[in-house]
Amino acid sequence: MKGSILQSKYNKILIALFWIFVWEIFSLIIDQEIYLPSPITTFYALIDMLKTTDTYITILYSTYRTVAGFLISCGAGIVLGYFCGINKLVYDLFNPLIGIIRTIPVMSIIIIAIMWFKDTNVPIFVAFLMCFPIIWTNTISGIKSTDVKLLQMCKVYNINRLRIIKSVYFYSSIPYIKAGMISALGLGWKVTSAAEVLSLPKYSIGRFLYDSKVYLEIPDLFAWTFIIIMLSILFEKLLKIFLRGLYD
Amino acid sequence: MIEFINVSKKFNDLKVLNNFNIRFEKDKITCLFGPSGVGKTTIANIAANLTEIDNGEVKVTENAVYSFVFQEPRLLEWYSVYDNIDFVLKNVYNSDKRVNIIKDYIDMVELKDFESYKPKELSGGMAQRVSLARAFAYPSNVLILDEPFKGLDMKLKREMISLFKKLWNESKRTVLFITHDVDEAVTLSDFIYILNEKPAKIIDYINILEYNDVSEVKYRLDI
Ligand SMILES: Nc1ncnc2c1ncn2[C@@H]1O[C@H](COP(=O)(O)OP(=O)(O)OP(=O)(O)O)[C@@H](O)[C@H]1O
Ligand SMILES: [Mg+2]
Repeated sequence: MKGSILQSKYNKILIALFWIFVWEIFSLIIDQEIYLPSPITTFYALIDMLKTTDTYITILYSTYRTVAGFLISCGAGIVLGYFCGINKLVYDLFNPLIGIIRTIPVMSIIIIAIMWFKDTNVPIFVAFLMCFPIIWTNTISGIKSTDVKLLQMCKVYNINRLRIIKSVYFYSSIPYIKAGMISALGLGWKVTSAAEVLSLPKYSIGRFLYDSKVYLEIPDLFAWTFIIIMLSILFEKLLKIFLRGLYD
Repeated sequence: MIEFINVSKKFNDLKVLNNFNIRFEKDKITCLFGPSGVGKTTIANIAANLTEIDNGEVKVTENAVYSFVFQEPRLLEWYSVYDNIDFVLKNVYNSDKRVNIIKDYIDMVELKDFESYKPKELSGGMAQRVSLARAFAYPSNVLILDEPFKGLDMKLKREMISLFKKLWNESKRTVLFITHDVDEAVTLSDFIYILNEKPAKIIDYINILEYNDVSEVKYRLDI
């Protein structure tokens, strides 16, 4: 057992090395740092970045925006999803609105948000509008997935509606809500940095992405992208650990 | 008492019941006996008001309170054995009383050491016994048992049958009992309806009290 875990760690490292190697080959072929910096240059750019405090402040701010947008989506999505899941009328009322939110292009949302909000809050609002429909939809699917046979059992034993919601619908929907939260968080990181690129808050990864394009510091662009990927993986892991504590 | 008067029920194009009449006498054990798919569970669901009928009338004495051992255990898999029983008793008893009742019934179905287990951690027969305990513990006056002793070994089955008999003698309920097992039917029932054909028809009716010799009843059941 232990051996196989070690083995799989070992394999993962080998696979990572393989793709870094492929990246190196391509950068050698292209041979232009502006188009594709080599892994080594990117690594040095990353090390340089990690030496300044601004980098950490930036990471903190961007994390705060992503997490804030994510948490608001979860709160609103789960609560509204519940009401829509158990009541057809409420569902019919909100369904068109959320359908529209889902189809608006991200860029339109960002530009509208820039007109409405302070720069630092734009990414939060955008992340919210993008993540919320996912949580909402998953919550409803979860409630709809509730076993009719269990609901019959509740009817026989005269269980009141409030307790059915609390003890049956709630637990039935948890696996769906969990899956929704994980995909919403991943999307949250991407959308937040996109919104930052356009709204340019003082401390934001998006601003640095934008600057590295303007000043043609492409290794920095790659290094920041690497940071976003790492943050996204880290927070997904944290979320999974947190969710494991809840009923599976 | 529960009485079906000219009840018809279709599922899509499949006529399960057509002008069907049957009676479940108050505080008696009435058995439905018949081949798989004939409509026994459908009749039970209609009697418990879980399935709408297309035509006819179902007369139920007022203040009917049901408990039901379904063909599958139907437990909440996120709750323990204890909490599954607690779940149905919450609106009925205060918490002090509940604790004792639940412990008693878990004991009766021989799951004392398993009260904190989740349904997934139980065997089929154990889950079935939780479902029995839940139905027995609930203070109903109509008890519906849909193949309640399946999945139990001979010894446990005998014990559960005598437990059921004992509980029923202590406080009588109207019982609708479904089984495929001739011995169960003969041991437990006051009345047996034998069903067959599609749509379901009562092809024989046995009042056990009229017989001194069970082998004669068994002979009639052995269709
Ligand atoms: N919800 C449903 N939708 C469609 N058809 C159904 C439904 N419930 C039952 N039926 C059909 O009605 C018929 C009777 O089913 P029922 O479950 O009452 O049989 P049963 O006598 O309880 O059989 P068994 O002994 O196998 O449990 C079957 O042919 C079944 O296919
Ligand atoms: Mg059945």
